[in-house]
Amino acid sequence: MQILGADFLASLGYNVDIEATSKKVITREEWEKRLNDVKIRKEDMNKLVMNFLVTEGYVEAAEKFRMESGTEPDIDLATISDRMAVKKAVQCGNVEDAIEKVNDLNPEILDTNPQLFFHLQQQRLIELIRNGKIEEALEFAQEELAPRGEENQTFLEELERTVSLLAFEDVSNCPLGELLDISQRLKTASEVNAAILTSQSHEKDPKLPSLLKMLIWAQNQLDEKAAYPRINNLSNATLEDPTV
Amino acid sequence: MNSSHTNNGQSNNGKSSRLDGINRDLGLYFLELARLRSSAAPTEMEEDEEEAPKELNTINSSGGFLVVAPDKLSVKYTTVNLHGHDVGVVQANKPAPVKCLLYYFEIYVKDAGAKGQIAIGFTNEGFKMRRQPGWEVNSCGYHGDDGLLYRGQGKGDAFGPTYTTGDTVGGGINYASQEFFFTKNGVLVGTVCKEKEMKGRLFPTIAVHSQNEEYAYLLVHVNFGQKKFAFDLKASWFVCYFILFIFYLQIYMFDALHQEYEAQERLKRQMTIEKISLPPNISYGLVRSYLLHYGYEDTLSSFDLASKSTIPPVYIAQENGFDEQDIGYALNQRKILRQLIRNGEIDAAISKLRDWYPQIVQVGALEEAVKYGRIELAKFFRLAGFDDLVQDCAALLAYEHPQESCVGYLLEESQRDLVADTVNAMILSTNPNTQDMEGCLQSYLERLLRQLTACCLERRSANGEQGEAFLLRRVLNS
Repeated sequence: MQILGADFLASLGYNVDIEATSKKVITREEWEKRLNDVKIRKEDMNKLVMNFLVTEGYVEAAEKFRMESGTEPDIDLATISDRMAVKKAVQCGNVEDAIEKVNDLNPEILDTNPQLFFHLQQQRLIELIRNGKIEEALEFAQEELAPRGEENQTFLEELERTVSLLAFEDVSNCPLGELLDISQRLKTASEVNAAILTSQSHEKDPKLPSLLKMLIWAQNQLDEKAAYPRINNLSNATLEDPTV
Repeated sequence: MNSSHTNNGQSNNGKSSRLDGINRDLGLYFLELARLRSSAAPTEMEEDEEEAPKELNTINSSGGFLVVAPDKLSVKYTTVNLHGHDVGVVQANKPAPVKCLLYYFEIYVKDAGAKGQIAIGFTNEGFKMRRQPGWEVNSCGYHGDDGLLYRGQGKGDAFGPTYTTGDTVGGGINYASQEFFFTKNGVLVGTVCKEKEMKGRLFPTIAVHSQNEEYAYLLVHVNFGQKKFAFDLKASWFVCYFILFIFYLQIYMFDALHQEYEAQERLKRQMTIEKISLPPNISYGLVRSYLLHYGYEDTLSSFDLASKSTIPPVYIAQENGFDEQDIGYALNQRKILRQLIRNGEIDAAISKLRDWYPQIVQVGALEEAVKYGRIELAKFFRLAGFDDLVQDCAALLAYEHPQESCVGYLLEESQRDLVADTVNAMILSTNPNTQDMEGCLQSYLERLLRQLTACCLERRSANGEQGEAFLLRRVLNS
């Protein structure tokens, strides 16, 4: 019937809703019944929350949550403090300190990850430039960073870009100003954080955000098949009536 | 009982039946829900292992034209073919499993015979056993003599190379993309869209139509147990050891091919999902509301303290839609009660409740909850067969003040949690602003997880029960 011509019927003034003829409609009542049939275990939700606290580095909260809910963390909580100390050092611009701490934690992390090591050294150079230690910065770039640039084309380009900061009088307004931005520190910090987690055979991202993305995806997928009550606002999980 | 709650609840028609119980006893209502939630009864959430095809169907094959060997993995065409319809067709003993991403099987052509008319494909249950797969509707077949793909129409479409003696050919279904795919000697020949009509259970199918055509029928899928298969082959009386060796090699190769293909499909989907963007700090906000909901006050204050000192600090703005006034209701009292119950200090918890929420204790639900916890416990130990403990349990059940008795330690932790969660929900429901009773029992996080599970299940049922379901536990253990 659709082939015969929805267009033809529409041209005669009929309201042809192809969607409505092919899409299944699930009422709120039916849908709520299905939601109630789903079994979600409390202990699984606790695990999900613990995974978030641990991966994001909320060590005290993880400790308290272990006591209040009886959920065991999937990683030694002591290692979180060390990891967070490294992360914080980079965020505050104490890159040298951070490198030392990473090596105390596990020297293999930087040995096996030249890109991370380069980014840390690059961050160190940025901090020197930020603090106006021009001579020291040049010396550091020549001695520590230039040899690495010779090994790797991408490193070289990055190095050139960073050193160009020296050419500008007012670095905060130069086109490379983004390197001096706090976001550059945060980027480097999260790279170190991920590398430490990986070295502890832990996933570098918490599971909760992926599940939320999966929810958005699953709802979009189901939209093609049916009209049903959606949750559009994740932060209050309110069911919206199906639009038919 | 505060009548305003009931009115609020019943303003929603869909819930009126479930909320009737509240008129009688609020606590019993929550307890009932809590029991439901914790019951061990399997629901559709638990995946049953599907039985995969293991051998050829010896009963429902076109008798007279082909012989299925006793190993049920080889077929031989016997009659000199005279008519176009004298096709020998044989299906697998079971339809292809559907609750997975992919299904795959393959055949090895030992001898293509004089005319080399062989087909591999999928057919439905009522398929005519004298027709090549793909000649009839609801079937699909890749034919060896012309390399064409037939999909229920009279003529085939150009598809891939021909195949003959010595070739190994595979057929598969990709449930994620709703496609059939075929392989020849380890190389993907092509894929073809699976029509919507082919929704029913599909049987792996082979057709032979020539003299001296003989097949060995292999199964290669994720759960394939190689040892078991080797046993079946050895039992056969006419497959020589050389072929056995080749089979082994190919099973191994195709297993790897299959796994790689499946991994790629997963990766593709994963990448699409990861690209979706989320509102800022949404995970953070949901964790926070979870802690508030269940009264994990100490965790919450550590969490808040830490998030103030992060760089950059986390702010959950009001415009993000987090309304925490309701779930923050009576936070400290809920925390204290949870602690008492978790420590097994049930009487202390009851006396606090009596002071703070006389309306809850009056309806007698709490005692019911405690009793429930004890009964569950007794069941547990009776099963385990600890004689001493059963006696202790009996003592516990008889005891008015369990925490004072020497057997108080027996109130098992998970049962205490159940009691604590029930009490928590009951207190939340005394909040005059409470909108619905479900909200007292389910955190935002839980509602989202339920929605996710329901969406995945619904989508699977719209696809004819094909594809994977969502299981939180699977995600957590991955």
